[in-house]
Amino acid sequence: MIEHKETLVAPWQEWARRSIKGRRLLEAGTYALTEGAIAAGCRVFAGYPITPATDIAEYMSKRLPQVGGYYMQCEDELAGMHACAGASLGGLKAMTATSGPGYTLMHDAYGWSITNEIPLVVVDAMRVGPISGITGAPGQGEFYIARYASHGGNFETIVLSPSSVQEAFWLTIDAFNLAERFRTPVTILTDQVISDMWEDLFIPDDYDGLDFVIPRKHNLMMPFYPVGSADLDVPPNVIGHGTGVCVSAYTHTEEGYDIEEMEAQWAQTFRLVNKIRHHRAELTRYETLGLDDADVIAVAYGANARTVKTGVLQARRRGVRAGFVRLITLWPFLDELFERDARYVVCELNYDGQLVREVMRAAPDKRKVHFMGKSAELHTVAEVVAGLDGVARSGKIPELPYIWTEVR
Amino acid sequence: MNKLAKKYLRPSQIPTKACHGCGIGMIENWLLQAIDELGLKQEDVIFGTGIGCVGRQTFATWGGDNFGATHGRALAIATGLKLAQPDKKYLIVVGDGDAASIGTSHLIHAARRNLGVTVICEDNMGYESTGGQFSPTTPAGYVTNSSPYGMVEPPFDPCDVVKAAGATFVAETTATQWHQTVKIVKKALANDGFSFIHVRFPCNENFGAYALGTRDTLKNLEWIYEHTQGRKTDGSESDFVWETGIKHDASNSRPEFSRIMRDMNARVQADLAQKAAKKAAT
Repeated sequence: MIEHKETLVAPWQEWARRSIKGRRLLEAGTYALTEGAIAAGCRVFAGYPITPATDIAEYMSKRLPQVGGYYMQCEDELAGMHACAGASLGGLKAMTATSGPGYTLMHDAYGWSITNEIPLVVVDAMRVGPISGITGAPGQGEFYIARYASHGGNFETIVLSPSSVQEAFWLTIDAFNLAERFRTPVTILTDQVISDMWEDLFIPDDYDGLDFVIPRKHNLMMPFYPVGSADLDVPPNVIGHGTGVCVSAYTHTEEGYDIEEMEAQWAQTFRLVNKIRHHRAELTRYETLGLDDADVIAVAYGANARTVKTGVLQARRRGVRAGFVRLITLWPFLDELFERDARYVVCELNYDGQLVREVMRAAPDKRKVHFMGKSAELHTVAEVVAGLDGVARSGKIPELPYIWTEVR
Repeated sequence: MNKLAKKYLRPSQIPTKACHGCGIGMIENWLLQAIDELGLKQEDVIFGTGIGCVGRQTFATWGGDNFGATHGRALAIATGLKLAQPDKKYLIVVGDGDAASIGTSHLIHAARRNLGVTVICEDNMGYESTGGQFSPTTPAGYVTNSSPYGMVEPPFDPCDVVKAAGATFVAETTATQWHQTVKIVKKALANDGFSFIHVRFPCNENFGAYALGTRDTLKNLEWIYEHTQGRKTDGSESDFVWETGIKHDASNSRPEFSRIMRDMNARVQADLAQKAAKKAAT
């Protein structure tokens, strides 16, 4: 038996310890994402069908009317996310779900929701790209797109990624809470495997009794936009309560009036960037294993992290001092997890190399950051073991079919 | 400042940045008159706009709650908002770009759903805030900064589009029809469903200058008037005519979108309660 220390840092570790009455099910990831949203108080879903996120829409169309919510099937993803933003401005928690092709169409609304500080949750079940690519296979091609989910810069985003059906449930509640606290859209970046996979799932019987769910509050007075401030937990603005709030696409004053001045742009950007940067500790979620003695550390997220973790444990059994980092928070990027002067093997589901570039930036020596890119299938345990073993022995990933190691 | 502006608008936000002689302020004043005659208060009406001349000049003038959407998406936002705030009146004031070009799919589907909003499409027949390019409502043959040889594409009539899609109130007026526009806006706001009003108005700086050859407000209004009447001031027939007035009035003839959704929820919840009661009894 090899000893290893496993760390999982996420708020639901605390939630799950409570004696919540509930039931165990065998259910799909899409089901968990839907039920997590409803448990978090989501009452509007507006979206457009797309594989592999369609099941969320179908579950929502059944569940929302039962709890007094509204399911809207829109004319396109542009309308879907804008309708969610409208509903959230009207005071209802809202979510949309899509895959890569729809996610890029949502960026218009994403930017609008960021600048107007509208709480929302967006699920992107990643498949293989570019464009339609392979619709029924897992990909991880929206790592950077999710960070830059709008044009124009001057903002930070929050992106989370679950790695099991159970985690998808808790993480959805978590995402809604963060959206409320930070007044911003939150992306759940999941993938085709987690969405479609059926797994053991515990869900509470009574959603009303969940005291860790942050309820919607309304900001009923000025300032509507605390520009120049990084304050957390400012209640979201609401339309329809006669507050005279102004919401727009423009750079705004604290009343919401459009303004074209450099100083106003500075103050708005300070708010949008620093409300997230100054509260990074509130956003840190990850899992690590064996980091205290590791020579070579495998890095992954989402479905892929499952086989990678098994590979790490097998490599340790073979005598390789291997460690494991699984990112749950993808953005803001957790630089602090890459401080150890070790070799890193980044396993992700794209050939161009996305996560690996961030790890290269964060690690002490980017020459010691190795890439194992694959697409349309998870890394096999054997591939992960071969990669870790090769890097530990010779500082190189051996040649493996369908594995890409070039980044530059 | 006139009485209506004092009652309904934000003194700090007017006058707007609109060009000299622009019709947007005038039409907004007519909207206020209709709102006032219906006895509506600031908090009864949510004012939504888009991008471009009409979006920029009307955004945040309304004293109540305002939203300025991304380009074309005012109706998509209003669809979600209406679910959360079904009891409000919605005045969606957008230009021809928002309604008839970039956001036409949302216009069509809002009409299909009979979403309870009143859309005022203030049409200056082109993209004037970006310097005067043609739009889908620019009359054929007219010169703009992106149709220097004349507009060669055929235009379309957004009223026909929304009527075909199922709008329950459709009307067209121009910036030369004050009283008619006020009456029509009042009827539109009384429809618990999708109302669409197409209002043409002159742009002096771009459409006027390039298509009509003058920046003179009165001359540009005269051009609008001639095409509203179908006859020029010298008595000859104009090159085309806009048919104004109420084009389709099926007000309150079918259920409004958010009402349909709430009715379905009531039905689903009643079924659930019945099933639960049956289960408890057995």
